[in-house]
Amino acid sequence: MKKNLILKNFFIYFSALIVFLIMFFPLYGLILTSIQPENIIRSRNLSFFPTEIIFTHFAEVLKPNHISNIYEGIKNSLIVSFLTSFLCIILAFPAAYSLARLNLPAKNIILGTLISIYFLPTILFVIPLFVILVSYQLDDTILSLVVPYTAFTLPFVIWILKSFIDKLPVEVEEAAKIDGCSTLQLLIHIIFPLLRPGLIAAFIFAFILSWVEFLTPLIFTNNLKISTVALGLFRSTIDIKIGQQAAAAIITLIPVTILMIFFQQYITKVVLSGSDK
Amino acid sequence: MTDLLNQPSNSQFKFSREKILAFTLILPSLILVFITYLYPAIFTFVISFAEYDIIRLKIKKFIQFKNFEFLISNYFFTSSVLRTIYFGFLICVCTTILSFLIALLLNEKFIGKAFLRVMIVLPWAVPSVVSGVLWGQMFHADTGFLNALLYQLGVISGYKIWLADPLVALHVIAIAEIWKAIPFMTLFFLSGLQSLPSEVFEAASVDGANVFQRFSNILFPLMLPIAIPLFLIQFVLAMKSFDTIFVLTRGGPGGGTTTLNYFIYQEAFETFNLGRASAAAYVLLIITLAVVLIPTISRFLMKFFWGNK
Repeated sequence: MKKNLILKNFFIYFSALIVFLIMFFPLYGLILTSIQPENIIRSRNLSFFPTEIIFTHFAEVLKPNHISNIYEGIKNSLIVSFLTSFLCIILAFPAAYSLARLNLPAKNIILGTLISIYFLPTILFVIPLFVILVSYQLDDTILSLVVPYTAFTLPFVIWILKSFIDKLPVEVEEAAKIDGCSTLQLLIHIIFPLLRPGLIAAFIFAFILSWVEFLTPLIFTNNLKISTVALGLFRSTIDIKIGQQAAAAIITLIPVTILMIFFQQYITKVVLSGSDK
Repeated sequence: MTDLLNQPSNSQFKFSREKILAFTLILPSLILVFITYLYPAIFTFVISFAEYDIIRLKIKKFIQFKNFEFLISNYFFTSSVLRTIYFGFLICVCTTILSFLIALLLNEKFIGKAFLRVMIVLPWAVPSVVSGVLWGQMFHADTGFLNALLYQLGVISGYKIWLADPLVALHVIAIAEIWKAIPFMTLFFLSGLQSLPSEVFEAASVDGANVFQRFSNILFPLMLPIAIPLFLIQFVLAMKSFDTIFVLTRGGPGGGTTTLNYFIYQEAFETFNLGRASAAAYVLLIITLAVVLIPTISRFLMKFFWGNK
């Protein structure tokens, strides 16, 4: 029996190591490429550890006239992602409350439709939106990114917030209502503070989804007047300097990685909150 | 909630007022979603039967089913449809199996589990452009780790240009997509595993069932209701993947990695044939709906005819 346990433990740690290597090695390779001089990257001597660490690739990429234009990209992506997340929360919070608590007719159909829209091919909506934006000369603006992003992310955010509201105890709301609290007061003063984990999770989801979006900015900013980080990084792939390309990729990754590591528990909560209903 | 509604103070008048309130709260979201989804979807549907003038931004003339007829007789289109289905199926099968295994691992107790979980979730936040760059460098003909590794192990005699072979390139893209898709499905499987009652397993191991019996007789049937929706969702998401293809191969070589979604992009924004692109977009929509609906319908039929699941 004890021998069995040791064998089992060995098996667990061995598979954990394998999983770690598979999931992390690609990122490690990227980091390695970004901090080594071009001649080492291109040499055929395989080494999984850095032999010479330099940061010139990062310095090059961060220069204002670099092809990937990372400053501009980061600035725009931050603006767009923040605006999108805020808009999503403002729109989704009352909607989620309505779906979770109020006597809304056909609520399952509404929620089901909203969620299934998320899985439809994006390109179906992008073609006409492009035509509309061009005809009103709204393409290549921040607005042309924020509005579609918000719409694409909104169903998901509503679903997250709804599953969090479902978990709040109804008694608090009942008590507040008996005390003569209006629905608006209830939403702002009682539900909003209670819902903080859900709101953080929803905000991060919306932020990350906007940060990584590629197809929409690719099409809607076709005149290259504004750029996002994803687009800038893509432009750096036209260049043949592998080290700089890797450095640009790392810079693109940093904000979302920080969000992921710090708020990993909230993101896990979203999934867990959906399961045991 | 029902208690609250059935209180005597809730007269018929108040009841309908709550409905109005419920609608007002959800209305802004619905309006935005309808403007950005429903109207464009109708627009796309209309121009799929027309020739669209991209310069003047209006419909030139209606040509009935010509767009669809052109597509069906076009070899690039039909092959990209088949490729899309293969690509989607491959990705969701591999992702489902791997995610389930990783979730089983994370369900055990071991040191460093929290750290491993962060590492597994991380690829989800990696923008697909970054994952394109990353896997592109991995499989790079001159500088890729794979070439270097295989060369030094003596598996290959010279450096290979992986992305030059259409079939290899398609699978490289699939690997990139699977790597990015694993985190989320793993989390869902994990939450499913954790919601299972532990008594079931204890009872089974007391009865002397071995690992494989426990898996096939207990775990597998219990996890199936979670696995099927995840499988279908992954199928649908994989079929609409675009970024990795765009970054890694641009649909090449020789159209070998052009999935339907990429085909639509090319028709719409490279050759600016919006009518044809819209028609193709509706074909993709139909395939997507079929993937989701066929299992549901077949389950319904089975229930109807045999009276069980």
